[in-house]
Amino acid sequence: MTRNPNVPSEEKFRAVERSLVEIISDFGYLKGRSSKTSTVMAYVYIRGEATQQLLRELAGYSLGTVSAALQDLEQLGFVSKRASPNSRGYVYSLAGTFSQVMSRSMTGFQDYLSETRGFLKEVETKLHEKSLSEKSGYKSLKRFLDEMNVLIPAYQHILQKYQAAPSSRKKEDTTNGDP
Amino acid sequence: MATRSGVVEFDPEIRRLEQEIAGFFAEKASEYTGRHPIVSAVMAYFYIRRNLTQQDLRRLTGFSAGTISKAVRQLVDMNMVTREMIPGTHTHVYKMETLPFRSPKYFMQTTQNLEKRREEIEKMKETLDAHSDDMRNIDGYQQVYAVITHLQKQIARVPQFMALIEEELEELIKQEKGKT
Repeated sequence: MTRNPNVPSEEKFRAVERSLVEIISDFGYLKGRSSKTSTVMAYVYIRGEATQQLLRELAGYSLGTVSAALQDLEQLGFVSKRASPNSRGYVYSLAGTFSQVMSRSMTGFQDYLSETRGFLKEVETKLHEKSLSEKSGYKSLKRFLDEMNVLIPAYQHILQKYQAAPSSRKKEDTTNGDP
Repeated sequence: MATRSGVVEFDPEIRRLEQEIAGFFAEKASEYTGRHPIVSAVMAYFYIRRNLTQQDLRRLTGFSAGTISKAVRQLVDMNMVTREMIPGTHTHVYKMETLPFRSPKYFMQTTQNLEKRREEIEKMKETLDAHSDDMRNIDGYQQVYAVITHLQKQIARVPQFMALIEEELEELIKQEKGKT
């Protein structure tokens, strides 16, 4: 009884690929993303490029799920699409190199922080304008706003510092007070 | 009036501001970070209320029991909140001790998870290396191999980077607190 020696290898390889997908999608899940979106992202990242049809087969999701996930990933700037040369659909790929995608998500995070800071300032103004300080819930809300007033500028500082050279930058003498 | 976990009924004006905050995070956190809008909204309520039961969250957000249960499970997995049984009941209360970005514990647990991942990836690479003669022509082999190598490099850099950031964050928080 002879078996094709490549079949066990192929099975073993697919198992490795699946574990890799699990690891990558778990990073996304632990960032609070939906696990389906994270899995689709992992397959696009590993395969380099993929059609919706291939992603359906690999991930085992419905067309609707795959297409919604891809839409989210496109909006985040992680994935881009182009018309497929040999079918009616699109080919999806990582939007740039891995480090380009990462650095874009850092820039996005900075915008997110400044928008959050602005929004919370407005909330704080409303909270003070209406003299709600004796009302129920005031303390909880105020505590949150106070903490964010400290945390957001701290993160903004750090991001500004590391964005230019995330890996090579050593811990320099921290000249205090520079903006 | 308080529920079992001690959640207080907010003044209507303050409740409206709270809803605005939850709405903001639901929209913006998912737009910028890809976090699921429901997870973001539930997190926002923890930022403000700190201790909540699933029932509290249903009432505050209007989401279904199943949706809330899934969201809190993910937050526990993310180490954002912890779960405790309320003594004398069968009800769990979920707690956010400090804002997650503030706590060094949050970074440390992320690093622990990375260590586990690093080991798994190492084993995967060993498997691929050991069978490279049989596997190298299989569709996807080259890509998987390249991704594994890349991840190995990235993960190796993370702990040091995290430690640096944590140290600076502590310092900056001290400075910012000094200003107010």
